[in-house]
Amino acid sequence: MTTPVQQVAPGEAAPVLTQSEVHHDTQQQQPQKSAAAAALSPISSTYNRFMNWRKSLSLGNPGTAEAMGREAKTTLLSNFIFDGARADLTKGISLNPAFQVTHSFALGSQQSPPNYSFGAVYADAKSFLQGAVDHTGTLTGRANQSFANLGTGKVQAQLSEVPGQSMIQLEHDYQGLDYSLNGKAMNPSMIDGTGIYIGSYLQSLTPNIALGLETLLQRPQPGVSESLTSYLVRLNGSNRDWLATAQINPSGMLEATYHHKLSDKVDAAATLQVINRPQGKEANASLGAKYDFRMASFRGQLDSTGKVSALLEQRFTPAFAFLVAGEIDHLKNASKFGVGIMLESTTMTPEEMNAAMQSVPQPPV
Amino acid sequence: MLSDDNKERITKAVEVAKVAAHWGWVPFVIYVGFVRANPKPSMIKLLSPLA
Repeated sequence: MTTPVQQVAPGEAAPVLTQSEVHHDTQQQQPQKSAAAAALSPISSTYNRFMNWRKSLSLGNPGTAEAMGREAKTTLLSNFIFDGARADLTKGISLNPAFQVTHSFALGSQQSPPNYSFGAVYADAKSFLQGAVDHTGTLTGRANQSFANLGTGKVQAQLSEVPGQSMIQLEHDYQGLDYSLNGKAMNPSMIDGTGIYIGSYLQSLTPNIALGLETLLQRPQPGVSESLTSYLVRLNGSNRDWLATAQINPSGMLEATYHHKLSDKVDAAATLQVINRPQGKEANASLGAKYDFRMASFRGQLDSTGKVSALLEQRFTPAFAFLVAGEIDHLKNASKFGVGIMLESTTMTPEEMNAAMQSVPQPPV
Repeated sequence: MLSDDNKERITKAVEVAKVAAHWGWVPFVIYVGFVRANPKPSMIKLLSPLA
């Protein structure tokens, strides 16, 4: 060890010494490291082979459990129908990041009193913020934030002056290579742990089949808890033209949806809901279609409860849309009718608009 | 387990946070949008339904 130091000039002594020391160190560490690696190598190589095999299956992410029936729900008009008169004035202020404010007016509905609400939406590639407050002072808000590799955190709240009408929901979403995990807490209490908690897991088994579980834990009072597990199935056609989903739980609930893309412009969907409990049986089915035209979209729907409904959304110019909705309940001999307008304006000049259109990010919704 | 004192403090903090979120959330969204929007809008155009 000391001989090389004595042989060289005094000025160069230090570097040579450190070099030999480094060499010495690595020589000593090498066997240790390789021993550890050797001990773990069966595990790590098995793990690597497993991961490579998993990647080679190219299963794809199955989407979240919550989004399972979304295609069918956006085709059917149950979520879009309204009655009375409605006006939405949207003002786009910026496209990238997206920022818009909305004034909504609703009048003359059979179900709900007249309503005015003001809302704002902000969205960029990582976050999504939305808030709306109505004339009674009730706030509904949403905030989503995506964390690079850790999924998306979501908060949803409704806050009202009226006691007992406020609620908050905390949620975390993680989408892996071929599975999705989601955890939700509704009105969780830090003091006594009451609230509703939902966890779900959805795993792709083949590119076309995904199975999952969803567990709901209810704690209405401290010390009282009740849990319910449902099973999820998601099937889709090899060229993604059809999609069927089902959620079954042992207490006697079945919810199934089917969505078929007939062409670029035509979608058809059906849903079935069966409740089979000792107290009584109930079933509900609906069948609907959606046609997309160049400046309009039309939805029609038929219901097992005897309802026939239709919704037309006609765009006269890109900034002005007119909506007509109607529903006839043949069994109850009742009907609903609604008209609405949607006006969109922008504070941007056409040049600014074109520049911003280049790259609009996808927010974590 | 939490002491009664701490329970009361948590309840109070949750209550304060709720009031703050209730009145502050929409202004906060508008503030974030206003600061980050490109191009920058003017306040009057932002709030009036007609402008």
